[in-house]
Amino acid sequence: MLSHEENDLLTHTAAGTPAGDYFRRYWLPALMTSEVPAPDCPPVRLRLLGEDLIAFRDTQGRVGLIDEFCPHRRASLFWGRNEECGLRCVYHGWKFDTTGACVDMPNEPPEYGFDNKVRITAYPAREYGGIIWAYLGPAGQMPELPKLEWARVAENQRYISKRRQETNYLQAIEGGIDSSHSNFLHASVEAFRVTDEYLEKVKNSSNLRARYHLLDKSPRFTVKKTDYGLVIAVRRNAEEDTYYWRLTQFLLPSHTMIPYQKGLSIHGHCWVPRDDETCWVWTMSWNPEAPLSEEEWKAIREETFVHARVDPVTFRPLRNKDNNYQIDRNRQRGESMTGIHGFAAQDQALQESMGPVVDRTRERLGTSDTAIIAMRRLLLQEIRALQQNEEPFAAHHGDVYWVRSASMVLNREVPFDEGARELTAAEV
Amino acid sequence: MNPAHIVTVRDFSPVTLGAIAAHLEVSTDFEHMVYREAELDAIWSITAFALAQKPDDAVARLHETAHRAHDLVGEGRPRDAAALLRKVTPAI
Repeated sequence: MLSHEENDLLTHTAAGTPAGDYFRRYWLPALMTSEVPAPDCPPVRLRLLGEDLIAFRDTQGRVGLIDEFCPHRRASLFWGRNEECGLRCVYHGWKFDTTGACVDMPNEPPEYGFDNKVRITAYPAREYGGIIWAYLGPAGQMPELPKLEWARVAENQRYISKRRQETNYLQAIEGGIDSSHSNFLHASVEAFRVTDEYLEKVKNSSNLRARYHLLDKSPRFTVKKTDYGLVIAVRRNAEEDTYYWRLTQFLLPSHTMIPYQKGLSIHGHCWVPRDDETCWVWTMSWNPEAPLSEEEWKAIREETFVHARVDPVTFRPLRNKDNNYQIDRNRQRGESMTGIHGFAAQDQALQESMGPVVDRTRERLGTSDTAIIAMRRLLLQEIRALQQNEEPFAAHHGDVYWVRSASMVLNREVPFDEGARELTAAEV
Repeated sequence: MNPAHIVTVRDFSPVTLGAIAAHLEVSTDFEHMVYREAELDAIWSITAFALAQKPDDAVARLHETAHRAHDLVGEGRPRDAAALLRKVTPAI
């Protein structure tokens, strides 16, 4: 449970709020590079941390991220003309470059020099790992880009998608680090019931998740604070003398990873506040050793796992609450626990059903919620530290993000951090 | 007493509450506080379920105490939380 004050502190991210200030200390994924693909292409709208922005790529290929509204009469620059190294408001012709400088003001006499005095809010943008990242914080505190493995592999070794979720970012992260929900929400009916047929099917599977995940529905959690955030270790019984361990990271301010098994691709998320009631869910799948296989592309195309098909303009998933996520009650009876296709839509359906900002004073947590408790407590500590002028360490140390999730079977006597040491170091 | 272990909370018996209090008394690190918070959350949850079935003054007191103790852990005061919990334990 959280108090009202703590819940508010964590979930409000507009400019001037403590969590808003905290998120503004990091580079945040803002757009796919493909949203502004070429010089002088059409500008696009973007909402981030409650701020309405316009992104555009100028004639020289530089990306600008500026306030959506022209400082003159507050008209939207979405209608603007992207021309000759600037975005021109089509209402009265004021033109702004990627730094926010007003470079032309044709409706004012030039002798007034008014254009030299006018600026529009502009934020730094960087292209990295197929994404345009934005920094909305103070100029003197510009952080390092996080050295995340998925951002550094070759393009054919990764796939990135973005979707809009109608909840606050925090309950989306909570879903990302809550290992115990996958035994239920993402299970097939036969796996949930652990039928003899299911056991026969998975008993020799090389996929550890399929083999062990559902045999122990009450996993034990261990958390460890690190320079980048948290490592969350989840232990399930495997064989008589072994445990099946799944290790995932929570990387500040809002990145997570799904436990990785060597030879398969790795999946991760970044959950970015769009405003207090919606968030951007960035999903990354990458193979550190080889191009994504046909099987991996098939899972992406068919939305069976973590990616979802979206409207290309709004990034709202096609399976959404207006169509009940296309739930199929027949499939729910016989095949899957939810009857909803794909892990992404299953997560989104349940998280959105909690309301845009869940009232955490009314929840009933247990010890299986340890990872969620740890993540909240860490974010609260970090936000309060910044209120005391203590800058976040991870924001200025991009190297600490060079880690990887893991899953493995270890002898019961071997501590997880010892057994996982080699597996959790990123390799690219 | 190892504060890095999570107490299994199946009930709110004196044995369970005593174990949580004992762990609170030796907790020092971030991770320990998280585990204690999880245990107190669990006590708060199961006492709420019990109260919904049957009102009981002693259980209601424990429910409130778990809430206060939980907040004290959040403030980094596990020993004060332990003392609070021990105060209500004999009543259950």
